[in-house]
Amino acid sequence: MRAAVSRPGVLLAVYPGATRQRLAVEAELARRGWPCVSGPAEADLLVIAGDHEGEGRGEGGESDWVAGLWQGIPAPKVRVWVTDPERAADALDSGLADLVRGEHEDDHAHEAHHEHHEHQQDGGTAPHSDHGGHDMHGGHHGHAGHAMGLVEGLPMADRADDRDGLRLDVLHVPLGPVLADWPAGLILHLTLQGDIVQEVTVEPVATPPSPSPPFWDEPWLRAASGEHISRGDAARRLCAAHLDSLGRFFAVAGWDDMAARTRHVRDRALAGATAAELTSLVRPLIRRAERSRTLRWLTTGLGTLPAEQARQRGVTGPALVADGDAYSRMLVWLEAVGRSAATCDVTEALDTAEVVGPRGRLDTPVPPSRALLDSLPRLLEGTEFACARIIVASLDPDLDELTHVPAPGTVHSHG
Amino acid sequence: MATSDWQPVLVLLVLIVAAVVLLHALSVALRAVREPVHTGPFSGGLEPQEHPLSRFHVRWYPVTMVFLAFDMEMLFMYPWTKVVSAVGTSAVVEMFLFLGILLAGVAYAWREGAFRWS
Amino acid sequence: MVERTPLWAVFVLPALLVGAALVTAGFDAVLAAGARRGRPGSLRETAVRAVEPGRQVLRHLVQQPRRTRASDLPLARIGAGLLPVAAVLAAVVLPLGFRSVSDLPEGIVWFNAMEALAWAAVWLAGWGPNSTLSLIGGYRFLAQGLAYELPHMLAITTAALGAESLRVGEVVDAQAGLWFVVWMPVAFVIYLLSAMAMAFWGPFDQPAGRDVAGGAGAELSGADRVLFLGGRWLLLVVAAAFSVPLFLGGGHGPLLPGWAWTVLKTAAVLAFLVGVRRAIPTVRMERYLELAWVVLTPLAIVQALVVAVVVLNR
Repeated sequence: MRAAVSRPGVLLAVYPGATRQRLAVEAELARRGWPCVSGPAEADLLVIAGDHEGEGRGEGGESDWVAGLWQGIPAPKVRVWVTDPERAADALDSGLADLVRGEHEDDHAHEAHHEHHEHQQDGGTAPHSDHGGHDMHGGHHGHAGHAMGLVEGLPMADRADDRDGLRLDVLHVPLGPVLADWPAGLILHLTLQGDIVQEVTVEPVATPPSPSPPFWDEPWLRAASGEHISRGDAARRLCAAHLDSLGRFFAVAGWDDMAARTRHVRDRALAGATAAELTSLVRPLIRRAERSRTLRWLTTGLGTLPAEQARQRGVTGPALVADGDAYSRMLVWLEAVGRSAATCDVTEALDTAEVVGPRGRLDTPVPPSRALLDSLPRLLEGTEFACARIIVASLDPDLDELTHVPAPGTVHSHG
Repeated sequence: MATSDWQPVLVLLVLIVAAVVLLHALSVALRAVREPVHTGPFSGGLEPQEHPLSRFHVRWYPVTMVFLAFDMEMLFMYPWTKVVSAVGTSAVVEMFLFLGILLAGVAYAWREGAFRWS
Repeated sequence: MVERTPLWAVFVLPALLVGAALVTAGFDAVLAAGARRGRPGSLRETAVRAVEPGRQVLRHLVQQPRRTRASDLPLARIGAGLLPVAAVLAAVVLPLGFRSVSDLPEGIVWFNAMEALAWAAVWLAGWGPNSTLSLIGGYRFLAQGLAYELPHMLAITTAALGAESLRVGEVVDAQAGLWFVVWMPVAFVIYLLSAMAMAFWGPFDQPAGRDVAGGAGAELSGADRVLFLGGRWLLLVVAAAFSVPLFLGGGHGPLLPGWAWTVLKTAAVLAFLVGVRRAIPTVRMERYLELAWVVLTPLAIVQALVVAVVVLNR
């Protein structure tokens, strides 16, 4: 029994603003070789990465979606919070210890013991959890019955016109915020017919505004506020940011091997590899991605965003430079990765005349990721589900930027 | 001979079905908690507005028609393989004429855009 | 002629297949871990990774049962259980050396029929849980079936045509001199592509892709999940192993006994497929379907024509 959970399946739920924690957990999981699973059905350990444990997130101390996820995980299950990136390993250790201990208690006693180590009391067998907003959960299937066309509290799908001039069943499905290789905290409300995306509404998850700068934009924002930041540090962060985006892009495109290699290099970059080492790591990746005809065949023509439209929507980063489809955005990232890897040892100070982060200009009134989110609906409508995922990954908005509220007079003075 | 050929297949079918049932039984014996957890479908943590079961937008519908035509053709092609040299040239000519006609259908369907749907 | 084996072989066959599936999955896990950590890893680490699939099985078996709202449990359960059943039944015609469990006179058609059960299995598993993502996964496999199945059937008939028999044993006998892969290279390549596609694995893993959180298997847990994912590996092993008697000369080869050649060749094909998985991203059907019908199907027919002409003149 101990062997069964000795390498638990980890479901990673990340709040916006917790990129640092996410990266720490991902690196630690890779070191341990624990599987990072894509849904609650195969999870044992729910790792919640956030800035503050449960602060300002309702009486239960967490959001609906975290409660929903937790409720859907079959026992044995344990959840841990990671609020301090330095202590990611400790959190995983304690989660594992709880899992193993829970196993032993179950031999004699009953399920509820798992949660003793937890700060929550809802057990996996008690679907009537006391978290608000859960009326739809399966545990309540007694009360709705089949009245008014409802089956277990939910209506069946109804029909509506589709893009091909047919009338077909429509589903309204919220996608996210916790999916593998998905921007942390992004919720897309999809109107689906089959696997065709008919309509999209973008909604970032509600999080309290955070005073700390977004992880990926940090060097530029800090330089803008007068701190001394070396060009090398900024280049390193840029390189890692794009590698992170590329890792997601490859993973969503179904190229697990490249995704894994890219994430390894990202972790090396953040761990402080020298420019020489980083260049030698990055070069084979770039060559392989650029030479893959299959990748090119599969991603050209997806989510074409002409420069003109991009500019109209206020996009300033790689998506504007690329002036094209998902494939061309990937090429822009690759090129920037190669360039920045070579300069990440430079010690001279970062030029603060232009505050441009990995996703675009940071001195504009709206953060660059807001512009990316604004361009999402038009790009996604009418696409197939798989293509929609690739398009989202190829823009890779960073929702940390939305939660960040800059202290007055820091950035805008330069704009 | 014919019946004895199928005897091991039958034994294997029983065996493998028994193995599947046994695995379920093993899981029942091992599982940490017996009562099932009832939950909503997963799409990232939030609940959908309807039941997901729906009439799916099957955009490859025309392809199924072309596929059916070829699938019927395969019924002839399997036994045909056994008699090619016995029947001689006419068997090959007839089969590939048939395939040629079907390929013309594929070309037409292609021109009509049946194989691209996104 | 393939000899008949005693009845106890029916017990050996599933054990061998499960063993082969675990080894292949372990090999794949070792490669995956190496890619993520940027280096191959020590011997001990490799050993730990190699037993990972077994540990995953155990991990799922201890899970609490899980039901999604208004799900059709029997459908999902049948779907998941059907995959390993179909894979093992398809394997009865597989010769190990020159002995198979039962060398049916229409062995190739039998294999084709069993492998096609996967269509039903994956769709049922996707439909049953009443979940959008798994529904999408299930339907993706139907589209995939429409793309891979026809070139696949043409490829296996081409091998049957070369031997003028549907009996797998006779197909192997016909390759005593020259392996079919030498003069049917196109059929062989198409066969390998469809082997991955029918196991919805590697570049064809869209029906169970990570972008839909596991697709048809997204909501499966416990024994159902083990059967579904294990059945997929079994299907891959069986499909790869079937390419050996069809194209690679079965147990024929110098020095070593027939069974050793079968094992070696099967291992080589599987290793190649695992390599392909690491080299190629997932192929989406909305693009592949066109390739399959407009390029692969005519190619497979031309290949069959070439073989038919050779057979006529022999």
